[in-house]
Amino acid sequence: MTMSDDMSGDAQQRIETYLSKLRQRLRGVSDRDAREIVEELRSHIMDKAAASGKSSGEAAGEAHGDLTSAGVDAALAGLGSPEELASQYITDDLLAQAEVSRSPVRTLKSLFRWSSLSVAGFFVLLGSIGGYFFGAVFVLVAVAKLLHPRTAGLWVFPNGSGDFEMSFRLGFGSAPAGGRDVLGWWIVPIGWLVGCGLVMLTTYIALWFVRQYRKSLVLPPA
Amino acid sequence: MKRADARDLETGDKWEIQLRKGCLELAFLAALWDGKLYGLEILRRLESDSDLIVSEGTVYPLLSRLKALGLVQSEWVESDAGHPRKYYALTSAGRQRVRQMAGMWTRFSSSMSRLLAPLVKGK
Repeated sequence: MTMSDDMSGDAQQRIETYLSKLRQRLRGVSDRDAREIVEELRSHIMDKAAASGKSSGEAAGEAHGDLTSAGVDAALAGLGSPEELASQYITDDLLAQAEVSRSPVRTLKSLFRWSSLSVAGFFVLLGSIGGYFFGAVFVLVAVAKLLHPRTAGLWVFPNGSGDFEMSFRLGFGSAPAGGRDVLGWWIVPIGWLVGCGLVMLTTYIALWFVRQYRKSLVLPPA
Repeated sequence: MKRADARDLETGDKWEIQLRKGCLELAFLAALWDGKLYGLEILRRLESDSDLIVSEGTVYPLLSRLKALGLVQSEWVESDAGHPRKYYALTSAGRQRVRQMAGMWTRFSSSMSRLLAPLVKGK
């Protein structure tokens, strides 16, 4: 084995290590897309390494398909760390998936990701959690009413300081003293309607923000 | 005073970064106007024909965004180098978009040039 073979093997190894790190960090990106990303970057690294080998006049780099250590190092350095590179792909991919699927779980997942990157994302996440939470409470109470007809529902009752308090009850324990079940059986259709409406509205608003963010993303981060 | 100068300089730098970032989408799409190119060719085109400095790490995620937006399409082509390359080409929506952006850019830059003329002359 000649010295240039050694170098080439070593360089090849370094490319594979970089790409497998990248691949690991492309979590959430579909298999097909991840494979394509990795192959495209492999092709870039080979081209770039061959070109820089040529320009620095290294004999090994001149040969077809042969790689020099320096060339590969330069190519990998140019791309930045696999973590950073992967994060640029993931964010956009997750947000794109959320837009297509319109599922609350997907939406929340992408919002978590977005919130780790920007303050705006954090507030949209916070608002969405609130929206989904209240939506879920309405639906839960509507379901609980069927199981605990006497105690579940939207209750208004006097509190200690002379005011009234409003509370959603799932029906565990006894009905609050002096309280009134405001909606009665109406909580069943109203709970479902308002709950599902809230979930849909939250998803709709969150995805609107996501779309605005993705439009701005066409410009890469500084 | 010194501190204020340093801050001004910093703000100026940030402004330049934002300005360059703002041109990237147009520059990428414009580079593809004459035909399909692969990532590294796009980079080289930008380096030789403009003074936009784009880091290699931003080229590919940006291309994948442009693809997701339907402005470019891609295909793998076998090459003499022994590995396939992913070529990008403008879609019809991309062509329409880049023409529209170029028009906006030309109008905007010529009006800015008029405004800045006395300043540049005074220099």
